[in-house]
Amino acid sequence: MQQNIRNFCIIAHIDHGKSTLADRIIELTRSVEKRVMSDQILDNMDLERERGITIKARAVRLAYAAADGETYHLNLIDTPGHVDFNYEVSRSLAACEGALLVVDAAQGIEAQTLANTYLALEHDLEVLPVINKIDLIAADPDRAAREVEDVIGLPAQDAPRISAKNGVNIEAVLQAVVDGIPAPKGDPGAPLKALIFDSQYDAYKGVIVLVRVFEGTVRTGDTVHMMATGAEYQLVEVGYLRPLGFEPCGELKAGEAGYLTASIKEVRDTQVGDTVTLAENPAAEPLPGYKKAQPMVFSGVYPADGAKYPDLRDALERLYLNDASLTFEPETSVALGYGFRCGFLGLLHMEVIQERLEREFNLDLITTAPSVIYKIHKTNGEIVTIDNPLNYPDPSHIEAAEEPFVKADIITPQEYVGSLMELCQERRGVFKDMQYIDGAAQGRVNLHYELPLGEIIYDFFDALKSRTRGYASLDYELLDYRKSDLVKLDVLLNGEAVDALSFIVHTDKAYPRARRIAEKLKEHIPRQMFEVPVQVAIGGKIIARETVRAMRKDVLAKCYGGDITRKKKLLEKQKEGKKRMRSLGTVEVPQDAFMAVLKLDED
Amino acid sequence: MPNLGVYIHIPFCGSKCAYCDFYSLPNQPESLMKDYVKALARHIEEAGRFLGKGSKGGIAVDTVFFGGGTPAALGAKRLGAVMKTVKKNFNLATSCEITAEANPGSVDARSLKKLRRAGFNRISFGVQAMQQELLTALGRSHTPEQAADSVREAADAGFTNISVDVMYGIPGQTRAQLTETLRSVCTWRITHLSLYGLKLEEGTPLAEAEPVLPKDEEQAEMYLEAVELLSKEGLKQYEISNFSRQGYICRHNYKYWTLEPYVGFGAAAHSDFGGKRYSFVKDIQAYINGVRDSESLMEEMQQVPMIERAGEYVMLGLRTANGVSSNEYTRLFKASFDTLEDKLERCAKWGLAETEGDRWRLTPKGFLVSNQIIGELLNTDAPAPSAQK
Repeated sequence: MQQNIRNFCIIAHIDHGKSTLADRIIELTRSVEKRVMSDQILDNMDLERERGITIKARAVRLAYAAADGETYHLNLIDTPGHVDFNYEVSRSLAACEGALLVVDAAQGIEAQTLANTYLALEHDLEVLPVINKIDLIAADPDRAAREVEDVIGLPAQDAPRISAKNGVNIEAVLQAVVDGIPAPKGDPGAPLKALIFDSQYDAYKGVIVLVRVFEGTVRTGDTVHMMATGAEYQLVEVGYLRPLGFEPCGELKAGEAGYLTASIKEVRDTQVGDTVTLAENPAAEPLPGYKKAQPMVFSGVYPADGAKYPDLRDALERLYLNDASLTFEPETSVALGYGFRCGFLGLLHMEVIQERLEREFNLDLITTAPSVIYKIHKTNGEIVTIDNPLNYPDPSHIEAAEEPFVKADIITPQEYVGSLMELCQERRGVFKDMQYIDGAAQGRVNLHYELPLGEIIYDFFDALKSRTRGYASLDYELLDYRKSDLVKLDVLLNGEAVDALSFIVHTDKAYPRARRIAEKLKEHIPRQMFEVPVQVAIGGKIIARETVRAMRKDVLAKCYGGDITRKKKLLEKQKEGKKRMRSLGTVEVPQDAFMAVLKLDED
Repeated sequence: MPNLGVYIHIPFCGSKCAYCDFYSLPNQPESLMKDYVKALARHIEEAGRFLGKGSKGGIAVDTVFFGGGTPAALGAKRLGAVMKTVKKNFNLATSCEITAEANPGSVDARSLKKLRRAGFNRISFGVQAMQQELLTALGRSHTPEQAADSVREAADAGFTNISVDVMYGIPGQTRAQLTETLRSVCTWRITHLSLYGLKLEEGTPLAEAEPVLPKDEEQAEMYLEAVELLSKEGLKQYEISNFSRQGYICRHNYKYWTLEPYVGFGAAAHSDFGGKRYSFVKDIQAYINGVRDSESLMEEMQQVPMIERAGEYVMLGLRTANGVSSNEYTRLFKASFDTLEDKLERCAKWGLAETEGDRWRLTPKGFLVSNQIIGELLNTDAPAPSAQK
């Protein structure tokens, strides 16, 4: 029965307790036996669990016996909490009628929470505040509630005050869901309109498509049509997602959420945001809001061991099965050999993918400096987009260059405002305005800046965190492209240009950055048998120079009693050490030198 | 068939030096030494049946080397007894080089004479340094004066081939001190000098104390200055760490660098014979028992494949001032020397190697970074990726 269904999600800042609350809700509905439940069951991937972030949305259907004696079907749809996955968040929200806004009673509202709350309100979701972590000594639930009212304008004095960690007052949350979130609407007899809010690859079932049905009914055996991609499949299975797995149910009706399988081989056929309809009786128009995920950050990814190139390709293909927002194409570098140019939604997405490649596929990687997409107007009238410094045109052919700007919200305790404004200034930020969130002495501020994306993809997060002892949070979205004065920096080792170390930078930053790169490389390149000049150049002009002095001594003096084996073993060990080095021309460069130039503003 | 070298390991010493990680035990009971000598004798006799007098046309032995430990710690009498067994069971060449290692203070005029009578004609003293504070830092149990005395006594006893070991890179050592040490020992009646850089070996008391060693630059200067000084004194460098007067290279050690065969006896002794490299158990008692019960004494054994021999040829040959020969390499290993030549030419550009005729050798500057050079030469893995655009 439609009126007994509630579709909802949880909005929370990282660490504010979303996953823990999900655990408690699942526990309370007894859908999962307590003994088989692993902590934070919604986050399937180890990596997510370790970092306390949710990367891919999941959904579970729970049965809840409410105080009125009715049994309600609650579909808890998980959302990614990070700015890089904004679009995916918006699709998860679109699948719901309501959202729980979890606020940490000690820390109050953060930038990402705010952004996602506004996103939920834009989707006309009923937003119900929940004050969590009341068990903390520093908890100030009244202040947190006031903050919700002041900043977002939602009534919050009656919001459930809970401790998800200790299981306190969880029942009140479920009752609020039943009472406060509207039941879904929609005609089960109308032509099918189901929203894809997630898809994941399963080795046995093929792609598992997570949908919310808005109109009509979908049944096992139906031939479905994806309205954006045009793909058609005959459904093998239709069912509900349960906390511990799949439960086939034959059909999903308007208002329900569940999954579809059809031996689909590629997630790219089932893109998040697309509308599923029936091939025989299609809907006249799709649900609104579909957008193809656009990568914003690009980086070269190379196997540290050149022979692992096929393994890297396989790994990327495997990840792509589950993540249609990842793009990659083969790339060659004189310095690094064969690799891939990968496109990511943002910095976190890039880090997550790199970590998964290293961890799940046991690959050792070298990545090049991330780049945004630049638009270059050439003197011949042509406009080219550049996401790789290698393709940067000769300066004499450039009429003008444009770079992407983002609108950034930074929420920070007041005391760090000065330091952060300085940071944003350094990163060529344009100050827009500043709002005080609450009036207390330890009040917080929402800073609005317009910043070049290229300036924040390096190490802006790290700088932000270190300047505010971890208290500031950031959210950004793409704004527009603006004219900019850009140059390409080239790095030369022993006189030879190293293509993989080139990058594009604003003219004003060229000299200081060139100096830092030279210093960092000098620090990280071990002494070689000869002196290595490290130079940074714009075109043919050297603008920074350092020298790695020649190694003077590395000798095995004694070879005792004819023990040659020992000597051979030492040489073997030395060779192992070298495996983590790349030979760039005549210079051996360790992997961490490539990483070091990505973190120039540290220390 | 090239002549054979015999190595005999004496794992006993008077006291353990702070930097030493070789297999050697101080203060062992007389009875153990006795048993050890017995085991050595039986082992040498057994081998003699296959390699020495007991076999048809046994191989000529032209070097015998007693290493340790401190062989002298076994006592001249026992060393003489072992030597007698060797003579009895192997065909010793008339010009055979017979060396014993000794520490200053571990021998005296009498024991030195005994050694001479037993046939020893070369003796090598661990002098290390001529500054008491440096000897103390190393945990050496003798004084600089004892070193001078021992060498003099050896010469007086009739040794005409005397070597000393000197160390550089000792914690606290200055360039001036090394020069002083070298100048001192050069006034003695020595024919040979080994110059070793101190290496901190994991687990040794010296390494655990985490001492401050002279910086690499400083050590490099020490080494280069030493090479020059010794050359002026008539001690010509013939290997990374070894210097000698004309005609007095250590022929035994030279076998190691030139891939000639040698067989070892004793606990932890190494051999290269019949295409195999092998070593015996690093345990005195296990060695004694093994010989007594005719059980295997092997710690490690490897049949060295041709390709690895080629690597050894380069690795060891480049330690010598004679270097390697591209023609010989090609003849011995049926392999091209071209890649090696390319890499060596690069080294030559940096002043680390030099060539003459078909031979390549490292310069003293090259010797200093020989680990890197040899590592690079032997790295046959795919060279730098050369993806062309």
